[in-house]
Amino acid sequence: MSAVAAPGAALARGLVRDRRAAFGCALVVVACLAAIAAPLLAPYDPNAPDFVAALSPPSSAHLFGTDDLGRDTFSRVIYGARVSLLVGLVSVVGALVVGTGLGVVAGYFGRFADALIMRVMDVVFAFPSILLALAITAVLGPSLSNAILAIAVVNLPVFARIARAQTLVVQRLDFVEAQRALGFGPFAILAKTIVPNILAPIIVQGSLLFAAAIITESYLSFLGLGAQPPTPTWGNMLRNAIGFLGLAPWLAWFPGAAIFLTVLGFNLFGDALRDIFDPRNT
Amino acid sequence: MGKFLLSRLLSLVPILFGTSLVAFFLIRLIPGDPVIALLGLEANDDAIAALRSSLALDRSLPVQYLAWLGNVLTGDFGRSIQGGRQVFPLILGALGPTALLAVAALVISLLIAIPAGIVAATRRDTVADYGASFAALCGLSMPSFWLGVLLILAFSIYVPILPASGYVSPLVDPLRFLSFLVLPALTLGTALSAATMRMTRATMLEVLRADFIRTARAKGVPWRRVVWRHAFRNAQIPIVTLIGIQMGQLLGGVVITETVFSWPGIGKLTVDAIFARDYPVVQGAVLVTAVLFVFINLLTDVVYTLIDPRVGLQ
Repeated sequence: MSAVAAPGAALARGLVRDRRAAFGCALVVVACLAAIAAPLLAPYDPNAPDFVAALSPPSSAHLFGTDDLGRDTFSRVIYGARVSLLVGLVSVVGALVVGTGLGVVAGYFGRFADALIMRVMDVVFAFPSILLALAITAVLGPSLSNAILAIAVVNLPVFARIARAQTLVVQRLDFVEAQRALGFGPFAILAKTIVPNILAPIIVQGSLLFAAAIITESYLSFLGLGAQPPTPTWGNMLRNAIGFLGLAPWLAWFPGAAIFLTVLGFNLFGDALRDIFDPRNT
Repeated sequence: MGKFLLSRLLSLVPILFGTSLVAFFLIRLIPGDPVIALLGLEANDDAIAALRSSLALDRSLPVQYLAWLGNVLTGDFGRSIQGGRQVFPLILGALGPTALLAVAALVISLLIAIPAGIVAATRRDTVADYGASFAALCGLSMPSFWLGVLLILAFSIYVPILPASGYVSPLVDPLRFLSFLVLPALTLGTALSAATMRMTRATMLEVLRADFIRTARAKGVPWRRVVWRHAFRNAQIPIVTLIGIQMGQLLGGVVITETVFSWPGIGKLTVDAIFARDYPVVQGAVLVTAVLFVFINLLTDVVYTLIDPRVGLQ
């Protein structure tokens, strides 16, 4: 456990010292706050139409203007954070848990389990990720849960490969050998010793994939394969904006900026985490 | 070399087998009866029976797979539900525009990334370095379709000098083709340049610390010559590798860009087919793209091995 606990203090120190990381953290916190406190922050119901105010430019009444149905863009951008962060969180955590499980089993047991699991992961890796996500949602039907599943599946091999490589290293260390000698079973060793000691690089990768998952979700929503209207997502708001670019360009500015700033935040945060946990920097 | 190539090709066999299985099951995983999904609820009984027989749905799954694989290997991907055209020629027709867009995007990304990466590395910890590095991070964080939309706003609406979407063959009207190409190629190229710039900067920094650079400078070789003739030449290997990897990633990236700009490539074909529930086209496009992706990655491996003598042919 200590392998994970020690970097916790290093992480806090790193985030305080590194201005990029602090900026990234601030962006992430703002996005999370928007998602959590959406009902308190949003001045209007994100799905309530107001045809009199349709396609109004940004003003004091509607900070980010309104869309073709008169819905408040600011409120929809805030509620859109919920979908993006939910998809990012569930898909990445799901891929992390399943991928890490598969990776440690492949690395620890080797032989047939290793060959089978890693060949399947190679096949998933053989597809451009957005294409595979598209294919999965195309077959299962467009919905939020299928988008989450699709993004989790395309991210599985990344975690499985890292977990397998780390397991191969850790399982040869003396304290693992000692546990085997004491008669601990393989699953006890995996759960209590190996997994806690390989988590740091996996969490770093998770933070970087979180950003990628948000972008992939926005792609799927933009193509109409994510959460379905009227649920506001940044991607489907941009899809709607395409039809009104000449009349109401603000419909494209704000949801795009929301995706960009959130992803930038996670990328900066992930970069900082990688630097902190990189042994060459210690 | 021949042995190396053969072993790499053999290692692709299980992956290609797996990709073919994924493509095969795409249609079989559609909820409900795949024949109804393919033909629609209004299809008559004869058409349903004919398709059920041609897909061998009344046989076991391994038999169905072998029948399907046999057809695919002879270029028979079935017929499109929209218009009844053969799927394979449709895909071949879409690959040309995609290849043109991908090459243009790659050229643009190199024109941006290589000079920016070299400037950032040679002026480390200056405003130029911070600016280029932050721009690269912004490039990595920007969803390509938003960049595309912003470019359309800037160059098709505010200053209307380029068309927002469309395509004409370069053989028919090269100038109009170029005008259609600029915005989608800039969109894709800018996104690609971010990663290449970061790699160029990191590799150049590593090479510039090497002893032979110090020796060259001590001998009085001009700085510009040291950078381009000595350092950059030695920094090219990882950059070339990254470019190879990006060629593969472009196959995914074009899906969104082609949709935004109505560029008639393999990405738009796939998306249009998904919305038309034209599953034979989806299946064919996914399989062909995955196979291309696998072979581009193999080519990258081979080129990497050829240009870097330090990498063994094991």
